[in-house]
Amino acid sequence: MKRAHNLALVSVLAVAASFVAWFLAAQLKLVDPLFLPGPIEVFETAVELARDGYRQVSLWMHIAVSVGRALLAFFVATLVGVPLGLLMGRLPVVGAVLDPFVQFLRPLPKLALIPLVVVWFGIGEFSKFFLIFLATLLTVVVSAAAAVQSVPVGRIRAAQSLGASERQLFRHVILPSAVPEIFTGIRVAIGIGWTTLIAAEMIASSSGLGWMVMNASSYLRTDVVMLGIVLLGTIGYFLDVALVKAQRRIVHWSGHG
Amino acid sequence: MSADASRLPSAAPGKVELRGVTKAFVDEKRGRRTVALENVSLSIPDGQFVCLLGPSGCGKTTVLNMVAGFERASEGEILVESRPVDKPGRDYGMVFQQPHLFPWLTVLENITFGPRLTGTPEREYLPQANRYVERMGLRGFEQHYPYELSGGMQQRVALARAWIKEPSLFLMDEPFAALDAQTRLMMQELLLRVWESSRSTVLFVTHDIDEAIFLSDRIVVLAARPGRVSEDLLVELQRPRDYASVIFEHRYVELKKHILDVIRRETMRGMAGETETALETRP
Repeated sequence: MKRAHNLALVSVLAVAASFVAWFLAAQLKLVDPLFLPGPIEVFETAVELARDGYRQVSLWMHIAVSVGRALLAFFVATLVGVPLGLLMGRLPVVGAVLDPFVQFLRPLPKLALIPLVVVWFGIGEFSKFFLIFLATLLTVVVSAAAAVQSVPVGRIRAAQSLGASERQLFRHVILPSAVPEIFTGIRVAIGIGWTTLIAAEMIASSSGLGWMVMNASSYLRTDVVMLGIVLLGTIGYFLDVALVKAQRRIVHWSGHG
Repeated sequence: MSADASRLPSAAPGKVELRGVTKAFVDEKRGRRTVALENVSLSIPDGQFVCLLGPSGCGKTTVLNMVAGFERASEGEILVESRPVDKPGRDYGMVFQQPHLFPWLTVLENITFGPRLTGTPEREYLPQANRYVERMGLRGFEQHYPYELSGGMQQRVALARAWIKEPSLFLMDEPFAALDAQTRLMMQELLLRVWESSRSTVLFVTHDIDEAIFLSDRIVVLAARPGRVSEDLLVELQRPRDYASVIFEHRYVELKKHILDVIRRETMRGMAGETETALETRP
């Protein structure tokens, strides 16, 4: 317990130290402010954007739009991906049909799909949704399929010896056994989804954090770029923290062997 | 050695019957066929506590898995209550080397897993479950999760979970092998106490000679490569038993010495066989 405490303190100190370094570098003009705006400048920009917005859209709106896009695509992907993955893991035929496509698409950089997606779906909301959806879906599908197959044989046999039918086996043993691994897959997926967001918002957009960063860079507003990066990172971090919290609550037994 | 169990006259067909059972695995990569069990015949009467004793690789677990319906015999047939085994069934209780509890369920939920599957009403299975909680010394831990328990306790939950069905046949695959020596002794005595009151048929796999003698009515010693019955012995020790008195009985010592001799002989033969094969395959 004490040890974990100390390590948390080390993390806090490391972050604080990097802020001090950043502050000093800007304050002492070690780096051109155009390349590296200082923390105070970024903070002022944050206050300014929160008040006046960026390009006629308030900062809160940018944040809401981005988080909304990512979460919607992420939820739909989970809703579709988990049952699909379970099916692939459980029924070899379904697995054999879908696996080649999943394995081809999963490592594919989703940026490469942007031109096609634009041609297919235009530059509206759906294109952005589709990209994030695809990126998260594949990760969720693969983890759910793997989770089904990694259920210990002994556990299955124990349930069979207690009289479980095929259906009961799936519902009461395989499904709950797979949940921890699916959760881990979902955590990875939300990270990937959040990353894909920037790419998705590069497709002609007029709002969202990803768009804000891209747009600001073309006007050399590095302070806005910096603010966008800090926000993207922080929100991504808290999404993960929320998921870890949920994971510990829901699959409290996992990690105990 | 007197008391050869296989030569006893048996009128009725046994609770469990193995007739000329052979199990072979085909290694597709090497194109080799490994015979795990060769022509094993065994008749286990109702209510007998039988230990399958043998070194690793003698196929004792394979016998159990085939009786349970997890694996199929390549040749021969396996009958439980005169019916061929074709799939994992409801007619037996099974305990494995690992507890294989359901980690998302509490102790009580684990124990009542079977009855809840079959839709038994709570007022029927709950008193039953409570009785086994008591017998297995799990009182006060009903609402704990398996990861909060020691290995011995987890195995007691597994025993209770299998026993609550009160099956007339028990299959046990080295259930105490993973426990420390102290806990193992306690578990063996506990198992015997519970068994005395039910007298169900037990097929118990172990590689521990003391365990086999202490627990069983009959010991079937298996030899390896290929797995086959090498000795079939009756234990003939008084019940109820406890370790403190049993280990000083003449019969105990005699049996242990005999089984050690059998195993040593088999091991020597196995080693000689291996050397021969190695010589044969030398270019």
